[in-house]
This record gives sequence, structure tokens and C-alpha cells, in this order.
Amino acid sequence: MGSRLAAMIRKEWSQLFRDVPILLFVVWAFTGAVYTGGHGIGSELRNYPTLVLDLSRGPTSRELLSRFRAPYFKVVGYAESDAEVVRWLDAGRASLAVVIPADFERRAQRGNARFQVISDGSQSMSATIAGAHIASIAGRYGVELLEARLGGTGRAGLPQVDARVRVEYNPNLVETWFSGLLEVLNQVTMIAMLLAAAAMVREREHGTLEHLLVSPLRPWELFAAKVVPVVALVPLAALGSVFGIVHGVFGTPIRGSVALFYAVSVVYVFAMASLGLAIAMVARNLGQAMLLLLLILYPMMLLSGAFTPPEAMGPLMRYAGLLSPVRHYVDFGYQVLFKGNGLAYVWPDVLGILGLGVILFGISVRRFARLAR
Amino acid sequence: MRRLGLDRAVAIARKETRQLLRDPAYLGLAVVVPLLLILLLGYQLSLDVKGLLVAVVDHDRSPWSRAYIDGVVHSEYFRLVGVLDSPEQAHEWIRSGRARVVIDIPPDFGRRLSGGLSTSVGVTVDGSFPTRGQIGAGYVEAISALYNQRLLREHLASRGAGDASPWPVQMELAVWYNPTLESKNFVVPGLLVVILMIFPPLLSALLIVRERESGTILNLYCSPAGRWDILVGKALPYVAVSFLDFLVIFAASIWLFRVRFVGEVWILSTGALLYSVCTVGLGLMISASTRSQLAAMLATFLGAVAPAFTFSGIFTPAGSLDAVGRFVSRLIPATYFMDVVRGSYLKGGGLAPYAPSLLVLALYCGVVYVAAWLALRKRLG
Repeated sequence: MGSRLAAMIRKEWSQLFRDVPILLFVVWAFTGAVYTGGHGIGSELRNYPTLVLDLSRGPTSRELLSRFRAPYFKVVGYAESDAEVVRWLDAGRASLAVVIPADFERRAQRGNARFQVISDGSQSMSATIAGAHIASIAGRYGVELLEARLGGTGRAGLPQVDARVRVEYNPNLVETWFSGLLEVLNQVTMIAMLLAAAAMVREREHGTLEHLLVSPLRPWELFAAKVVPVVALVPLAALGSVFGIVHGVFGTPIRGSVALFYAVSVVYVFAMASLGLAIAMVARNLGQAMLLLLLILYPMMLLSGAFTPPEAMGPLMRYAGLLSPVRHYVDFGYQVLFKGNGLAYVWPDVLGILGLGVILFGISVRRFARLAR
Repeated sequence: MRRLGLDRAVAIARKETRQLLRDPAYLGLAVVVPLLLILLLGYQLSLDVKGLLVAVVDHDRSPWSRAYIDGVVHSEYFRLVGVLDSPEQAHEWIRSGRARVVIDIPPDFGRRLSGGLSTSVGVTVDGSFPTRGQIGAGYVEAISALYNQRLLREHLASRGAGDASPWPVQMELAVWYNPTLESKNFVVPGLLVVILMIFPPLLSALLIVRERESGTILNLYCSPAGRWDILVGKALPYVAVSFLDFLVIFAASIWLFRVRFVGEVWILSTGALLYSVCTVGLGLMISASTRSQLAAMLATFLGAVAPAFTFSGIFTPAGSLDAVGRFVSRLIPATYFMDVVRGSYLKGGGLAPYAPSLLVLALYCGVVYVAAWLALRKRLG
């Protein structure tokens, strides 16, 4: 029995490694795709393209404008008229316009100056953050003006609360630290499912599945042979990517236990490969398999908690997300690699991945057995 | 002699259509899956960050600190998960993910404020998800600003300077295009772009390579159909399916999600048609240059689908991408279609603002089909 399984695994293994395009894509997925992906996603406010229309041109307005600075804002232009502001915003060249009226200087002396901020709301999240930042810029500047004015009459300083923000784990909020790691975790998910599903669909399309089914191989042996090469390859590729790209190129600190990450990744890839196989058995051809795969994959990835925190999701999705191995894996990956947490913290995630893995494995093997009958 | 006209292409298109119709499961999936995705994600994928988990360490326990905490409790952006005793405990909560933000109120908080002095609170933010961290910090600042405003008003009144405005510089915020700042107005059109980049190219990427795998490509090689006939014939039904997908998603966005739409339907439709031609062509180009269906599928996935997701601007304004990101975003058609889609839904303003993007899409179509034509050699081997 052992030799039968070994022979089958050897067949799958060499089939995988003889397929140069596939290998190239796996390599790209864990290098180039992670590198480019690390630069993409992220909706935090950075270099927000800002247009300035200063009709006052006084020292007060200049001082106010000087506070619209990096890393949040980037002044991309100075307009001369309202019409120009409209043109810039319509064309999407600026997402924000700061308009300072001509009487700003005079009214600032009297203590009731106003300025206008026009924000492009189509990117609602960035617009919200930008609005909050400008409000605090205006508030702070106002307090300074007030202090300067009252300074002569009494003691300096006013009863004010200053929020001193300290960011843990990623002090400068470097986006690539986050998105590079996310990209690796997502690639693990995708490649594990795709490779397993493809190995199965290929047999079906070439008509060689029948050969396997009438062979003395047991269903679970057939199943294991399809999964083992994927489980051997993908977690290792993920490790390589974590050290080569995420740590090596992006400089993300890797604080946690690599052995733990690898061990759980093996279980996770096993679960996702089982899911891929189950899908491939339902589908008649590669096209169908792909559509089904995406139907399952995209919602799982989008609801993984990486884009929207689970606590901000609708209740339905918050609990449905617990059934998604991706959610557990993303949480696990960040906790272990990024925060340096050990099993004492991530055991619920590990338990989730294990439990879902067993269920997916069970479903897959049962379908296989039914196929064999 | 080469006849003029498209009848050979039409013949191939008819064959492809028949093949598509004979596999109802496939066709069904091709239309139903995009619809399901938009329903699922449109309803559930909210990017509004609300209900962030926050914990407070109150060393002061005075009326002043309680008033400050009240501001946190009453904010819809935070959910107070606990008032803790020690900074160590707070650190532990951030580490385990029980809280994303911890606000630390110093022991002399109330004493300093009642004495007319300034003070500070320590805000610790979990930075493992940078966007979330930034938003959390921003919300705390906004809450502090509100609290400060009240403090100032009371302080000025007590000093007999009640006529002075506590806010000498005020901001008036006008939000254009999406005045209610609802994320659906931004997410649903974005999903339209991404979904149309997922399915049409993945389906068309199998078209040529499938015939190559099953050997039926020889029939095409021997037929009088030229390379253009083959490409056009194979593209037509899939462009039609893609456009159908567009119509379905568009209808859902207007009637189901009630997304604001101020632009012109014909401009959006023109963009969608160009985009469909382009994405199907991208699939055909990949299909003509690969040797196995699986390779074609993976290439489409990594070369077309994933970049569209990451760089088209569905989550990020293109302006805040870094140099690498901006460069990639200029290379993919999704960016240009996103321009037309976001503009049509939220900005309007006639054809002029969108003409350049439409032109780039048309150019893109040309390039993609010429590349596919070059890759599709009528020969064995």
C-alpha cells in the first residue's frame, strides 16, 4: 500500500515539476506579485492630492496652509479662481481643495475666520480621514491664535487635551509592511486552491481520471497524492517570500516563531487544497471549476478582516467569516509574524484552521469515495 | 482570393455561441457568479470603519476624565470594551487583539484642566493594520477636539471673555460628488470594474488553448479562416456575455443598491463596451501564447485579475499610490475604466472629462488584439 501511494505521489510530483509555466507562475506569485502587491492596496491617507486657492495671501493664511503637509497631504497646485478648482476636482487631479476667502486675515484678528474645504467624496474613506485631520489642524491653529491673544492678559496656556498617539508594531504606519504580508497570505490561499483544483480537473479533462479510479488506489490515496505536492511546495514558497520579499525588500520586522508559522501553514494549505479538490470534483471542466473557485475565493478574501475589521462588518458576515479559514489564517499570520505572538494567543485561530481543515478534508474524501463507486 | 466581409468571423462566432449555450451551467455561472459577487460584497463589504474596539486606562477617575470617556462612549466610531487598571493590561489587550486602541488618562488630568493648564492623554494604536490604526488615531483626535471645544468655552466664560469665540479659525467642509460619504457609492462602482476584469478574461483565456489541448485547433489551422477571423469570431460572444454582465451589475447598482448616478448612461456603456473588448482581448492574447489551459488561467489571474484588484483604485485614490504603484496602475486598463465609472456615477459632466480615458481604452484594445494576432501563428509545433 505504501509503495502504491508513493508511486502516485511521485507521479503528481513530477507532473507538477515538469510543468514549467506553472512553476514560473508560482514563483511569480510569491515574488513579483508580492512586491507589486505590497505597493498597492491601502486606503490610509498619504500624500492626499490637495489644491490651494488662497485669496487672502496674508501671514495667517500662509501659516494655516503650511500645516497641510506630508505625510498626509501633498499640495499639487495653486488655483487662481473658483472655476479652476472645479476643473481640478472634476478631472480628479486633486481630491481636496482648500479655499481661503479674501477677508480671512481681517476676520482672524477678530476671532471668527472661516475657510472652506472642498472634498471629493467619491473615495469616501479617504475623504472622511482627511476631513478629521483638517478639523484638528484648524482646531489646533485656532487654539494657538487664541493663546497668543489671551497671552497678554493672563498666564500662558489654556485647558486643552492633547492626544499623543503612539503606534505599536508599525510606528510609522508603513503600508508596505502590512500589504506585503497580506499579499503572501493571499497567495498561499489562491495558489493552494488553484494547484489542487487544476491537478484534478486535468485528469478529468484528459479522461485519465477513469484510469485512476479503476486502479487499485484507494480514494484517500488518490486524494493524498493530489494534495501532498501542494502541501510540500506552497508553505515553503510562502516562507521564502516572507524572508526574501517581505523582510528582505520591504524591511518588515519578523518578530514571531517561523516554525509555528510554517507548521500552521502546512495545515492551512492542506485545508485549502482539500477545498480546491472538492470544487474540482463538482465542476465538469476547468472553466466551471475556475468560476466556482472565484465565487468562493473572493468573498472569503474580502471578508477576511484585512480590508474591513470584523467588528465593523454586518453581523451576518462577522459570524460567517468565522467559517472561513482565510479569516483565521490572516489573523494568525499577522499575530505570529508581525506581533510576535505565540500559541498562547493564536490558539483559537489554529483551532479554527484545524477544525475547518478536518471538515473540508472529510467532505473531499467522501466525494472521492462516491466518485470511485 | 480573400473575400471582404466578416462572414468567416461570424461563422466562428456562431460556433462559439453554440458551444457556450450547450453548457448552460457554464453560461449560467458566467452571468450568475458576477451577480452573486456584487450582491454579497455590495451589501456586506462596508469600508466604513465603525465600532473600533477601544479600551481606556483611567488613572484619574475624576469628573473630568469621566466626561472625556463619555465622549468616547457616545462616538459611533468606537466601542468601549473595558476600563482597565494598568498600562500592562492595556498592552496585553492590544497584543491579543481585544482592543485596537487604548487611551491612557494620566493621574493629574482633572487637576491640570481645572487649574486651566493643558494636559495630554496617551493613545496607543495597534499598527498592524495601518489604515485602521490611522483612522483610530484620527477618531481620538476628533473626540479630543470636541472635548477641547467645550473646555475652552467654559474657560473663556469663567474668565469673563465669553464674547470671544473659542474657535477663531473654523473650517466649513463641503463634500462633492458623494455628499453623504456613503461607502456604497464608492464600493459598488469599484466592484463593477473589478468583476468585469475577473470573468471575461478568465473565460476567454481558455478559448484558444482549449482547442490546442484537445487538438481541434488543427481544424482552424486547415480552415480558410484567417487569424483575424478567428480572433474576432472567438471574441464576439464573450464580449456579449461581458456586456450582459455589465448591464446586470449596472441594473443592480441602480435599483438594488440605489447608488447615486449623475452621469450619462451612453458614456458609461461606451466605456463598458471598450473595456469588455479589451478584457476579452487580453484573455485571447494570453490564450494564444500559452500551452495549457491551466497556465492560461494562472497567467490571467496573476497578470490581469490581481493587478486590477490592487491598482485600479478600488480602495486607494490613485494620487496616494507610491511611484511603483502609480506606474503599474497606468499600465492596466482597469484604471482607465475606473475613471469613467467613478466619474459617470458620481461626477457626470459630459463627454469631455472622459474622452482621454476612453481613448486610452480604445488604444489598449488595438494593442491587445495585435499582440494576440502576433501570438496566434497558424502552424504546428
